[in-house]
Amino acid sequence: LCSFSSCSSWLPQRIPLRGNHWQSSLLTPRTALPVRAQPKKKKKVDVKREQAQKDRMKKKLKKLEKAAPELIPIEDFITPLKYSDGSRVRSLPPLSPEETERRVLLLKKWCLFKQRQDEAEKKAIQTLVESQQEALKELRLESEELYQAAIRRDEGLFPFEREGPTYTPPLPGYDPPEGKCVDITKVYTQ
Amino acid sequence: ALLSCHRSYRSRPTHGIGRYKYLLPKEGPKRKKERVQMKEINPGTEFEFGDVNIQMTSYDLCLVEHFAQYVHRLCNRLGIRVTESYAMPTKTNEVLFLEERGSKMQLDAVLTTHQRVVQISGLSSTFAPILLETIQSSQPEGVHLLMKQHTEADFKSRLKSRPELEELLAQMS
Repeated sequence: LCSFSSCSSWLPQRIPLRGNHWQSSLLTPRTALPVRAQPKKKKKVDVKREQAQKDRMKKKLKKLEKAAPELIPIEDFITPLKYSDGSRVRSLPPLSPEETERRVLLLKKWCLFKQRQDEAEKKAIQTLVESQQEALKELRLESEELYQAAIRRDEGLFPFEREGPTYTPPLPGYDPPEGKCVDITKVYTQ
Repeated sequence: ALLSCHRSYRSRPTHGIGRYKYLLPKEGPKRKKERVQMKEINPGTEFEFGDVNIQMTSYDLCLVEHFAQYVHRLCNRLGIRVTESYAMPTKTNEVLFLEERGSKMQLDAVLTTHQRVVQISGLSSTFAPILLETIQSSQPEGVHLLMKQHTEADFKSRLKSRPELEELLAQMS
């Protein structure tokens, strides 16, 4: 058996091993002369064992596949336990009538501001859509082909990426300290 | 059904006296497991985009939540169908920086990156640039906006990894 294994390992050898008299020629190290009785039994048992192993693996696989995949729980929506302590209660100081009056008026001003902002946005969208429709109408009158090409969806539109605006522009000549970012996200496995 | 209650004196006129389950409304079959891919990915026609994901990422949780709410309400108002609106798992990053005098890395901060996704479908090709313009103009500070087509990989990234299954599959093939 050990001679078998030394020949089956594909190591570069200067002197070909001829100690193995089962080997028919130098050029075909893999094949060997047919072996006799004893090893055959082992082969059968091997095959059976392998089959049994495969069946077991298939069963395991089926069982695992039956279980539906779960979504990763989102930590944002789980309140940490330290906030569920009911003993800490905030006591707010009483407000003077002027203060309440000021707050109510401020709220009203804010509501009005937001309403105007919303109206402006709606109006802007409306004008955009109208002008677009008009332009498409005119284009249709101009040429049907161009109109059809314009109606088609733009493949270059997606993916679209944009960074949000910053409070201040980047400082010129700023030398950031060296460092690194380590990802410590918890990995969930099913 | 008549024999499901305790008292079962079939000859007596009081047979089936404790029955009440037949009076309750039908519950329907219990379905606890989360469907893997309930929504088919809509490829879209030539004049309409299919499933589009609007992903908003930021370090600030409140901002990103409010922006996601705003986008969702805007789509509702404009008649765009919102198929899903969910949150992606939070990523935590530890920022270490090198001290000026010394070779030790010092912990600066622990940052959490939050991401919200609003999935829309049936967006017409003429209206898409207008929607993009509107969302861009109201983008808050520090919120990174990304709009892309929905793919299966995006869906798979939400699910838990199953190393055992993968190992077995690798062994089988």
